[in-house]
Amino acid sequence: MLRFLGTRLLRAGLTIAMVVTFAFIVLRLSGDPAQIIMGADAPPEAVEAFRIAWGLDLPIWRQYFSYFGAILSGDLGRSMRDGRDAIVLVVERIPATLALTLPALAIKIGLGIPAGIYAALHRNSWADRLVMAVAVAGFTVPSFVLGLLLVLVFAVQLGWLPSGGQESWRHAILPVITLGLGGAAVLARFTRSAMLEVLGQPYIRTASAKGVPWRRVVTNHALPNAAIPTVTIIGFMVGSLIAGAVVVESVFSWPGVGRLLVVAVANRDLAVVQCILLLVAATMVCANLIVDLLYGLLDPRLRSAPRAAGH
Amino acid sequence: MPEAPLPVIAAAPPKPRRAPMPPLVIAGFVWLVLMLCVALLADVISPYAYTALDLRNRLSPPVFLGGTWLHPLGTDELGRDVLARLIYSIRTSLLIAFGATIIGALVGTSLGFLAAHFRGLVEQAVLALVDFSASLPFLILALAVLAFFGNSMVLLVCLLGLHAWERYARIARGLALSAGSQGYAAAVRQLGATPWRIYGRHVLPNIASTLIVSMTLAFPEIILLESGLSFLGLGVQPPETSLGSMVGYGREYLTRAPWILLAPAATIVLTTFAVSLIGDWLRDRLDPTLR
Repeated sequence: MLRFLGTRLLRAGLTIAMVVTFAFIVLRLSGDPAQIIMGADAPPEAVEAFRIAWGLDLPIWRQYFSYFGAILSGDLGRSMRDGRDAIVLVVERIPATLALTLPALAIKIGLGIPAGIYAALHRNSWADRLVMAVAVAGFTVPSFVLGLLLVLVFAVQLGWLPSGGQESWRHAILPVITLGLGGAAVLARFTRSAMLEVLGQPYIRTASAKGVPWRRVVTNHALPNAAIPTVTIIGFMVGSLIAGAVVVESVFSWPGVGRLLVVAVANRDLAVVQCILLLVAATMVCANLIVDLLYGLLDPRLRSAPRAAGH
Repeated sequence: MPEAPLPVIAAAPPKPRRAPMPPLVIAGFVWLVLMLCVALLADVISPYAYTALDLRNRLSPPVFLGGTWLHPLGTDELGRDVLARLIYSIRTSLLIAFGATIIGALVGTSLGFLAAHFRGLVEQAVLALVDFSASLPFLILALAVLAFFGNSMVLLVCLLGLHAWERYARIARGLALSAGSQGYAAAVRQLGATPWRIYGRHVLPNIASTLIVSMTLAFPEIILLESGLSFLGLGVQPPETSLGSMVGYGREYLTRAPWILLAPAATIVLTTFAVSLIGDWLRDRLDPTLR
């Protein structure tokens, strides 16, 4: 188990290092930072002085290492627009985003998984067809279209709910539903196909043949095995809690991380964009790591596999 | 250590009778062909230029909401014909999606083949890149690149082309590895064929059906990504227009002129739906292993 944990941790660290390297490369490829920050009409001596002050005259590999060091110590630069630390700007937006993505995650899991299981257990029934139809719609209707349709019906036509902003909990209802429904559809589709695959396995037939009640077969044999692919998707959803609402936040003018990202991209506020990029990658890698560990819990074969291969 | 050779099927099993094409899939094909015709014939069938202004008929509703046949789908705030803009948007969006799908398949398949051919360090590097792209949601990556490099049509197509490259790479690597152990690739190699010939003429045709299925499944995802970026105002830039940017623009007039937004939104949904149906059908038909 320790070895399993060790290799996973190493891979997670490597992936983070690659994201940092990626950020460094595109940052350098996108132009001379001194020139960008000082402006095109800055006097050459001033630009040169800036280069020396920020270490931009050093060889590229030393710049790379100092960049790495700065990021490890939490120095992610300042926003070019309001001069504050990029990390502060981003972190203060996180609660607003979580206020949308956490309830949405609850809807996805609470609606998607039961629907998928039910559809698989009643294959080809009308309920199965309904779940599949909704699941396909959930994939083909982009979130901005769904969001705007909800606004058109519930805010413009019926006037029940506000169309955007963040004044009260009622403002969160439409964005949460938009996010939740799309994700629930994806999850239902995955759960259904995972369940169907497991239900076709010989051990399910064996269990029912030896007289285990069907309910027990489902809860003790089918569900744990079908959980593995489903957990992967949920892991991805947990990993995108911080920046998974880019489009929906824009539709509903919700002041979260996603909205900040869109504005920062439009203004080419590179420090903020880079900060969000690293934060998202870190969240994603952590979520993947947890999923990997859960695999070990769910499937003992994966836990012992590296040891068996080693001896 | 060489991989265990896959069992070689000696005689082809008798072909099962082909099931007729489901009506929904036929409808999907019809819709897709219609969209392709619109894209190809945009200059011929469009009633106006997509930038032409008609200032006397601003925000006029479509025919079925009491408008005139002058502008069958209505006009926007500047009096531009919604139908004309829709036609050109379909062209832009489809062109981007086709270009990006082909780039993704080319890049991914080539990298997959490289990994399978050289093994060792090259393979590890490709697998590390796959890990990297799995660590970032594609939309965030795309937004970051657009922030760093600014926006242009070429960059947008290349960027969207990177979507799903890792899927092709994984498939191409896996299939090339198993093809290598199946004998036919080894046989041509013994005959002195170059790697280009082995991969281009012998391995590729054998894995083409799986790749085509992946392309059909990636295509609607790319349409959705492009329309999402354009909706945010970070994809296709005016005066060019795409389905997503039309929805983004129409959003400002949601209460007064919902038709600006509904026509392109419906087109996005129907097109992705059609291609997804075709992709699912092709997958069940050509490649039951890909699930």
